[in-house]
Amino acid sequence: MKVYVDPERCQGHTLCAMIAPDVFTLDDVDGHSSARDGEVPADQEAKAADAVRSCPEQAISIIP
Amino acid sequence: MSTQPFPDDDAERKRNRFHFDRHTPEYRERFEEITGEMLGKCPVAWSDTYGGHWVAAGHPEVFELARSAEYVSNDHDPNNERRGYRGISIPSPDIGFRGGFLEMDPPEQRHYRQALNPYLSPAAVNRWRPLVDDVVRASLNEKIESGQIDFVDDLANVVPAVLTLAMLGVPLANWDIYVEPVHASVYTSPNSPDMARIQQSRIAMRDDMFRQLAEIRANPRPGMINALAQAQILGATPADGELLGVISLIIGGGFDTTTALTSHALEWLSQHPAERERLSRERDTLLDPATEEFLRYYTPAPGDGRTISADCEIAGQQFKEGERLWLSWAMSNRDPEVFPNPNEIDLARTGNRHHSFGLGLHRCIGSNVARMVFKRMIVAVLDRMPDFACDPARAEHYDTIGIIQGMKHLPATFTPSRKIGDGLAETIARLQVVVDEERLAEPVTVRKGAAEIL
Repeated sequence: MKVYVDPERCQGHTLCAMIAPDVFTLDDVDGHSSARDGEVPADQEAKAADAVRSCPEQAISIIP
Repeated sequence: MSTQPFPDDDAERKRNRFHFDRHTPEYRERFEEITGEMLGKCPVAWSDTYGGHWVAAGHPEVFELARSAEYVSNDHDPNNERRGYRGISIPSPDIGFRGGFLEMDPPEQRHYRQALNPYLSPAAVNRWRPLVDDVVRASLNEKIESGQIDFVDDLANVVPAVLTLAMLGVPLANWDIYVEPVHASVYTSPNSPDMARIQQSRIAMRDDMFRQLAEIRANPRPGMINALAQAQILGATPADGELLGVISLIIGGGFDTTTALTSHALEWLSQHPAERERLSRERDTLLDPATEEFLRYYTPAPGDGRTISADCEIAGQQFKEGERLWLSWAMSNRDPEVFPNPNEIDLARTGNRHHSFGLGLHRCIGSNVARMVFKRMIVAVLDRMPDFACDPARAEHYDTIGIIQGMKHLPATFTPSRKIGDGLAETIARLQVVVDEERLAEPVTVRKGAAEIL
């Protein structure tokens, strides 16, 4: 699976990178999130799904 | 969401009614009951209090409203230059100035945040961690040999204040000019005999802010005040009065909220020693979710006011331009549809989409500071005072939770131990040299590395 962070919705709450730091990366300047390139590693899928559920802005989607 | 005009039928539009007064002691005492009633019957309701206003309590309703910036305004316009909106306080205060960018709409609001983001992003905030650890260590040193501490006065008031001033570019030693007026003016009733003294301390704080801004304008030194002094907002340099509102917002947001979160968490951990032991033992995995859970449950800033800026229908409710709205982060954080067993603290809770830092484009700009400082204080207490016991008879909560859900005092006892290193005054003097020499208060765009403290 892959994940996508909608830059129009993300407001930099940072919970996704706290939960799944190997899946999401935060911008140094404003803390907004983006997904790291490529497929989510199989052992990170559960954490990625937890990050999706935890996003206060509902900005993250899973691309199967 | 739709913007079709709808008939002027107030009785029908306001059929969900709830007498909501968050400024009464009763609201604090019956919070869970009132919240349960609103969530169950009327997640958005019209209240007749404070001139009449909407109250949003439900999680999906608050979510949608807070993110509808095109219909919901934060603007405070005391001089009636635009539409006369009254900002984020309900009732609106008599003071005639805006409370920084939290009482502005884009694009002005965005210009301020863009100026300050490089000081407050996770990467920027993490640079301060060694300094925070040193201030925490020194604060605990002051009490560690006595076996007695007031977690509010001796720790949770001190560390956020020192760090916030350091990030602003204000001398660290000035923290005690700021801490009393910010903390006490939140919980002291206007009729209190203590109010005259607190007013004096507020004047002293305001004078110091003016002095710092003037000094930094004349001789720039790193920090958020410098960023504000140099900022171009809507293509111009803002007036000093406007900047003082912004500095006050950063100070108000940076001090008492983190103090409130820390004191409540420590009180709960004292009441639940097995959970405290578990948090300490499993801190590598548990401290992050536990922090979010304390944020959800105690919601230090319980909500924000707004003004409807255009007729609209949001979350199934019709609103009219000019109507006031209270977004309750605290009540939406107890919605059982989103949080199973919402009135229980579950340190390992997942899917914790709490609203404690607000939502949408006004998300608390200091959220990364709050989390970092909170975690460093909690961990240090767990390490150095692992058996602390708060005294329920002397713990003092704010009488009302309309503005901040905080604590005045939280005395505790613990097994005494030895000091580690120097005390608070010496530490602050030493750290001032580090802040100046390493230019720690530069934005992350200029300085990337963490503080180096020998």
